[in-house]
Amino acid sequence: MRKAITSRGVLLLVLFLILVAALIFGLDMGVDETDGLAPVEIREYEGVDLSSINAFRENSIKGPQEIDVESYTLRITGLVAKSKNYTYDEVMNRHQNYKKVVTLDCVEGWSATILWEGVLVRDLLAEAEPLANAEVLIFHAYDGYTTSLPIDYIMENDILMAYKMNDVILPPERGFPFQLVAESKWGYKWIKWITEIELSDDANYRGYWESRGYSNSADLDRSFFGD
Amino acid sequence: MTNRQLIKKIIHWLLTVVVIIYLITGFGITEYRIVEPLTFGLLTKNLAQRIHINLEIPFIILLILHIWLLPLLKYFKSKKLGNK
Repeated sequence: MRKAITSRGVLLLVLFLILVAALIFGLDMGVDETDGLAPVEIREYEGVDLSSINAFRENSIKGPQEIDVESYTLRITGLVAKSKNYTYDEVMNRHQNYKKVVTLDCVEGWSATILWEGVLVRDLLAEAEPLANAEVLIFHAYDGYTTSLPIDYIMENDILMAYKMNDVILPPERGFPFQLVAESKWGYKWIKWITEIELSDDANYRGYWESRGYSNSADLDRSFFGD
Repeated sequence: MTNRQLIKKIIHWLLTVVVIIYLITGFGITEYRIVEPLTFGLLTKNLAQRIHINLEIPFIILLILHIWLLPLLKYFKSKKLGNK
């Protein structure tokens, strides 16, 4: 009889201790810490309906790239008076930031209208001081992808190098840290994971897809096959 | 085999071939990282896209023929007989 009472007492004591421990840890855990939630993208801007940042098809040549922002450097090289190396923060904080809504049209047949936020490529170029014989900008990406655009196109239009889309920092699969917003050009000119901008006098330079049969001018109002 | 049966057979087989090529080239555009090595580099994204785009009209014509050819032939035949 006494044995039964004792074992029941031990059981109750253990249950009590578990209850007390659960209360203590339950009250203590995560109450005074703020956990970060996934950023929320905006879907409407100044009356324009925006596509989701997930509305893109992942069609890069080697899949999404993970770039370490601490070791990241954007290089401006080639036909410039002053070659430049920028860290991620330097690109964003030392230059005027702009935002605008632009639609990306892919040769695969889909499109996405996004609010892009970033810096103007021509602002970066101005600091590097392009030489007079520079004709094209060759953009290099972290995955080895390249594409080119005429310097006149960059200087005469407000071409952004975006770090945000729909108010959210570019995710790795969308081109973090920077994606080119090559408006009025087919999607393969919108290079992601930009690491270098090289100025060249080679007007016939053809990037990754351009050397595989796609148009080098890539104007939206013309076929993406051809010159 | 009558002429009508022969035409029907040709259209059916052509449509089958076109649908298969249409599907493969479609994958060649969107899944080029898989299709290109599988075809030993023969079916590139660019080639797949050119074929795919050029097949759109033949595909539609063959599909319409596949659906409407026999009913139309029957209709015209019955109309011709009716006139007689």
